[in-house]
Amino acid sequence: MKIPISIKINGREYNVEVKSNELLLNVLREKFGLLGAKYGCGIGECGACTVLLNGRAILSCLTLAVSVNGQEITTIEGLSDGSKLHPLQESFIEEGAIQCGFCTPGMILSAKALIDEKPEPTNNEIKEAIRGNVCRCTGYVNIITAIKAGAKKIKRSEK
Amino acid sequence: MNDTKYIGIEFNYYRPESLKAVLEKLKEDGSKILAGGTDLLVRIKTDMEKPKNIVEITGVKELSVLETNNELIIGAVVKLFEIEKNDTIRKMYPSLYEAVKSIGGKQIRNMATLTGNLCNASPGADSAPPLIVLGANVEIKTLNEKSEIARRLIPLEDFFTGPGKTILGAKEILTKVIVPKPQENTGSAFKKIARVNLDISKISCAVFLERKERVIKEIRIAVGAAAATPVRAYQTEKALTGKEYDLTKIQKNLALIESDISPITDVRSTAEYRKEVAPILLKDTLKLAWERAGGEVLI
Repeated sequence: MKIPISIKINGREYNVEVKSNELLLNVLREKFGLLGAKYGCGIGECGACTVLLNGRAILSCLTLAVSVNGQEITTIEGLSDGSKLHPLQESFIEEGAIQCGFCTPGMILSAKALIDEKPEPTNNEIKEAIRGNVCRCTGYVNIITAIKAGAKKIKRSEK
Repeated sequence: MNDTKYIGIEFNYYRPESLKAVLEKLKEDGSKILAGGTDLLVRIKTDMEKPKNIVEITGVKELSVLETNNELIIGAVVKLFEIEKNDTIRKMYPSLYEAVKSIGGKQIRNMATLTGNLCNASPGADSAPPLIVLGANVEIKTLNEKSEIARRLIPLEDFFTGPGKTILGAKEILTKVIVPKPQENTGSAFKKIARVNLDISKISCAVFLERKERVIKEIRIAVGAAAATPVRAYQTEKALTGKEYDLTKIQKNLALIESDISPITDVRSTAEYRKEVAPILLKDTLKLAWERAGGEVLI
C-alpha cells in the first residue's frame, strides 16, 4: 500500500509517497539522505534515532512515516545555519562530549527540545531529558556540561 | 535475532476521523489499533504481532479529550507527556503523575498513550496501580448488530485478565479512562523499585487512603509486577482499615501484603525478592499518601 504524504523536514515542505510499513527513520535516511538519525536498537531503548516532531523528541524507528503526514520534522541536519554550527553542536565539540558520535545527533536534539522549553535547565532536568539517550563512549558528565554550556550560548546569542 | 531496522510484513494503513469508521475497520479480521506505537511497532518488529490492517486512531477528535473539571477524563490518544504536564493532575492525582513520569524516557512519553499502557496489559504497567486505587473506570465501545455504537463502563480493576490480556475484544476499543475526583482528607502515592530510574518495575505499589484524624478510615492498595495482572491487596487493606496510623503498630498488617501477591521469578527480579521488599515498598508509599491526606509527617 503506497500512500502520498506531505511533510516538512528542516523547514522545507516535501510531498512523497511512502509504503504503509515504512519507518520514518528509513524515509529520512534513504529517501532524503539525512544520515544524522541512526538505527541503534530499533525497539525504543537507545534514542539514537531521535528526531523532533513538532519540536518534541520522538523515536523515528518506532514511527510510521505515514503517521507524520502534515507534520514537521527536525533532524540534526536542520540545526546548523549553513556551515555555522548550532550553539549546542559547538559546545558538544568544545566540551569533549563526543567520541564515536553515534548517539550525538539524538543527544543534541533531546537537549534542544529541553532548552526550547526550559532555557536554563538544571542538572536534574538535563539528566531527565537525556534519560532515553544512551551513550556508550564518553559517559554523561561531559554531555551534561556541554548542554549547560550550549544553553548559555543560546541565551547570549539571543541578547 | 529479528531485524528491527525494517518492518518485515506488509499491512494496510487507515486513519479514520470518526469513531464509527474506526469501529467498522475493527470488524475486519487482523485489524490492530495504533495510537503511540511504542508497544505495537516493537511487537510487529519482533514477530509477536502480524496485523493485516493498522487502524491509527489519532485522527479521531473525541479521543483526544483531557478534562479535569469534575472527574478526570483521559481519552485514548492522550499522550503520557500531556498527563505529566497537567498541573491539576499533578496536584490532585499525584500517584498517577508519579507513575506516568516514571515510564520510559522523554521520547517514549512524547509518543506513548496512557490507554496504550493499559491495553498492552503488562503486569508491570506503571499507570495501572494508581488508576486502580483511584477507582478509575474505562469506557469501552463497539458496534452492535444494528451497527450502532454500544458503550460499556468497566472498573479498571476488572479489565486485566492475564499478562498481555484484557477483557477487550478484537472489535472493541477503550475510548477513555474516567477517574473520580478525590474527596477532602484523601491522599494517593505511587512508588516503584527498578534497577535504574526509567527502567521497567521489579515491583510497584500505589496507595489511596482517606484519613480521619489519626485513623486510616479507608484504604486501597494496588501492586504491579507482582502477579499475572496488577492486583488489589485486599487482605492488607482490610487489616489496615480503621487502624490508627502508627507505623510500629501496623507493621504486622503491612507484612500481610506478601500473601496478597503471587510474584514470579523473571529477568527483572526473583519471586523471593519481590515478596521480601513488598511490605517495605508499601510502607514508603503509605507514608507518602498519609502525608498527602494531611496527616502528620513522621520520620
